[in-house]
This record gives sequence, structure tokens and C-alpha cells, in this order.
Amino acid sequence: MGKIEAKNIVKYFQHDGKPLKAIGGVNLTVADGEFVCIVGPSGCGKSTFLRILAGLEKPDDGEILLDGKKLVNTGPDRIMVFQEGALFPWLTVEDNVEYGLKVAGIPEKERHDISKRYLDMMQLSQFANSYTYQLSTGMKQRVAIARALVMDPDVLLMDEPFAALDSQTRDLLLVEMQMIWQKTKKTIIFVTHNVPEAAVLGSRVAVFSHRPSVVKKSLDIDYKRPRVAEDENLGQFEKQILSALRHQGPK
Amino acid sequence: MKANLLGKKIAFYVLIIVVWQGIDSADIWPDNIFPSPIEVGEDLLFGLSDGSLLYGIGTSMWRLIIGLAIAIGGGMLLGIFMARVETVNQTIGSLVLGLQSIPSVAWVPLAILWFGLTDSGIIFVTAIGAIFAVTINTYTGVKNIDPSFIEAARNMGAKGSQLVTTILIPAAFPYMITGFKQGWAFAWRGVIGAELLFSFLGLGFLLNVGRQLNDVSQVIAMMLVIMGIGILIDGFVFKKLEDKVMTKWGLR
Ligand SMILES: Nc1ncnc2c1ncn2[C@@H]1O[C@H](COP(=O)(O)OP(=O)(O)OP(=O)(O)O)[C@@H](O)[C@H]1O
Ligand SMILES: [Mg+2]
Repeated sequence: MGKIEAKNIVKYFQHDGKPLKAIGGVNLTVADGEFVCIVGPSGCGKSTFLRILAGLEKPDDGEILLDGKKLVNTGPDRIMVFQEGALFPWLTVEDNVEYGLKVAGIPEKERHDISKRYLDMMQLSQFANSYTYQLSTGMKQRVAIARALVMDPDVLLMDEPFAALDSQTRDLLLVEMQMIWQKTKKTIIFVTHNVPEAAVLGSRVAVFSHRPSVVKKSLDIDYKRPRVAEDENLGQFEKQILSALRHQGPK
Repeated sequence: MKANLLGKKIAFYVLIIVVWQGIDSADIWPDNIFPSPIEVGEDLLFGLSDGSLLYGIGTSMWRLIIGLAIAIGGGMLLGIFMARVETVNQTIGSLVLGLQSIPSVAWVPLAILWFGLTDSGIIFVTAIGAIFAVTINTYTGVKNIDPSFIEAARNMGAKGSQLVTTILIPAAFPYMITGFKQGWAFAWRGVIGAELLFSFLGLGFLLNVGRQLNDVSQVIAMMLVIMGIGILIDGFVFKKLEDKVMTKWGLR
């Protein structure tokens, strides 16, 4: 299961010696198996919020519940895919993908079978023994996603994983992401800058306000899948997201 | 290209020997002060044939390896603690910087007082001369690890010693190798220096015997051996290790 609830999350940072309220009480409930995209202006605290969900950062107020249980530390029930992938350069693709399994003490044979399945799924089998510097940016991103999926987390947290990609690779991964989601039924929380990307991926889009951020609008995207970015019918959803982004009020 | 480079090197060393022999033949200085390359070569051969040279090399290498192993193990441990625990850095860290400025032979008197004229004393000097270079480079390496590596690993469930062995050490390894290289150089100087002063077996001891016997060619022969071992270890052990790591990391 993977129902995750953020209750009144508040986060301050020190800025020029004074506390700066980055997140001003975010409430967000994501149902098990839901795909929620978070959009919001730059610097509003999306990454910070995701890191709090992952347990990599402590909120100053509020709490995170996973299936009703309060979360304190980071752990493999919520796996984060970092914007730059954060792949380990000293390991091969395969060893990167198996890292979390190895940490969990899963025997080599089993580890191997699992990683093989996801490397196949990501069309990376040919590169299992390559090092990450031998991969393109898009391939690295797929390795990062495979590394997260093998952990079979309840919740997948993704921080702008496609931001550094060219549009062709991105389009491909957008389709793949939807397939993965439909296949694995994971709860996914996906941060992006890109409004069309949010409309293609999300079953719901949460729009964050300016700092100190709150959830400004939550928009359901009821539309058939797989969706592609060119689909003009998605335009109406994009318009609604954009207008929610625009009506931010004074900063 | 490679053959060309080798050719140049050989030509250069041949030239040195020829000039050396030339100066010797000019008889400017007496033979007991300025020996010919042939005499030095004979000394080396003699040392090889009676086993004293190999025994000396073996003794020095053994001390070096133990001392360096202690320095690498201890230095890594200390460096990691300094990088990860702020209090350790603020306290021991400042001491490490100070200790590093002490030349390793300056530890000899203390080593003799503490350990007597023993192998342990020489190994102590070797290890202490090398440990801080390893410590400082390990510290720098761990400090420079991309924080997202550590976060990703923790997120996937790694903690404690698992985090150290699977992330901190491999991630900091390119820096650590620099520390090992510096550490080895300090250790080699340390072991020879200590052997000279302890006068207790090893290459440094043989060097000192040469001086006591007024045998300049023996002194030069031992210096050549010390240099030769230095070149070999630099080129074969550390260069290879460095190349391997750098290639694997895609740094070259
Ligand atoms: N470690 C930190 N120390 C101090 N301030 C921080 C820290 N991390 C984030 N901030 C501040 O918190 C705010 C939110 O940052 P965050 O990275 O979460 O924004 P974001 O919404 O992800 O932005 P972007 O869309 O540009 O990635 C910013 O004003 C940033 O300066
Ligand atoms: Mg961000």
C-alpha cells in the first residue's frame, strides 16, 4: 500500500541570518496508486517538500503519514529519484540498480533476477556492465528510475527527473513512465516545472503557491492513457494549471 | 611514440653513465671519493651475490609495507571521522595539521625512547610519517562527496558501517589514492631515515655502513637502490592503481 499524507508541513531555512519560511503549511493526501504531479514557481519549496516526504529533511512543523503511520526517518518504502540521477560512478549500471537490494541483504542470484527484469523494462540490458559515464543523460535517468523501481517502494518520489533531457528523449520517457505506473500501480509524486509534462503524467496536479508555499489548487486530470504531449485535448487542462500558477497573488 | 620515449630515456641514462665514467677517467678526484660507475656496479653485484642487498631490501620493504598499511588504515579511519563528525574535526583536525608538519625523522628520538632499537620503532616512524597525508586526503575526499550520493544511499536503506564501505570509501577513493601516493612517499623516506638513525638492518643501515667504512661506492650503490625501488613502486603500484580507478570513474 502507499497512501501518503502530508499534514500542515512547515519548513524554515536560514537566509541572511534570518529565518525564511519556505513552506507555509502544505496539506496533501495522495491515495494509494495515484500519480500526482506537483508544479509551482521556482524556489517555492517543491524539492524541499519532496525531501521531507522522503525523510531526508525534517519539517519544522507538521507530519508525514504513510498508510496512517507517522514517518520519522528515511527508508526504502519511499524512494526518491534525484534530478541529476545521483548514480554511483564507481559502480556499473547493474550494480547501481542492485545497490538497494544488496543493502537489504538479498542474495546475489535473486538480486540479479530482479535487476535483469527492470533493466529489460528500461531497455538497458545491453549496458548492464557499462559505467555511468558511458551513458547518455536519458539512459542515466532510466537507470535511476530502474534503481528506484527494484526497491519496490510504496511511494516513488521524483524530482524533475526529465528536466535535463532533450524533448525527444523526454517524450519517450513520458510514455514509459505512464506504462510503468500502469504496470506497477505505484503511488507516484512527481515534481516538474513543465506544465505539459504535468498534464501528460498526472492523474492529479497539485499547484504550489509562491513561498511560503501552500497547495494553491488541486486539479484532477480525467483523461485516457497513454497520453502524449501533442494531444490537443490536454490543452484545457494545461490552461487551468497555467492560470492557477499565474494567479499567485502578491509575492 | 612509446618506443621513441623509451629510446630517449635509455639514451639519457646511458649519457649520464658515460659522462660519469668520463669524469672518473679524468682523475680529478681520487677514486675513494668519486668512484666509477663500474665500481658502483661491482658493489651492487657483490651485494646481490652475498645476499646482503636482498636481505636489506627485504627488511626495508617489510617495514615499509607494515608501516604504510597502518598509515592507510588509520589515516582512512581518522579522515572519515574528521569529515563526518564535526567535533572530531574541530579538535583532532587541528592537531593533525600540526603533526603533519613534523618531518618523520624528527619522530626517531621518541621512537627510540619508546620502542628501543627495534623493528617496532622503525615501523612507528614509518607509519606516523605517512598517516597524516592519508588522513588529510581522505578528509578532503569525503567532504567533497556529492551529498546526493549519501542521501540516495540512506534513502535506499544504507546506514552506519554499510554507508562507509559502500559509499564513503568508494566515492572518496580518487582523493584517497592521492593520499596513498603521498603516504607511500613519506613512508619510504621515513623508513630509510629511521634505518639510518636506528642503524638496525635495512637499506638505510647499509647506507650508513658505507659511510662508516668510508666506502663511497657502497653509499652511491645503496642510494641507487633506494631510488630504483621508489621509481618501481611509484610507476607500477600507484600509477597503475590510479589509472585503473580514474578510468573506471570516467575521469580520463
Ligand atoms: N539547504 C538549504 N539552506 C537554505 N535555504 C534553502 C535550502 N534548501 C532550499 N532552500 C531555500 O528554500 C526555498 C525552496 O527551495 P527548493 O529547492 O525546495 O525550491 P524548488 O521549488 O524545488 O525550486 P526549483 O523549482 O527551482 O527547483 C528556496 O528559497 C531556497 O533558497
Ligand atoms: Mg527543485
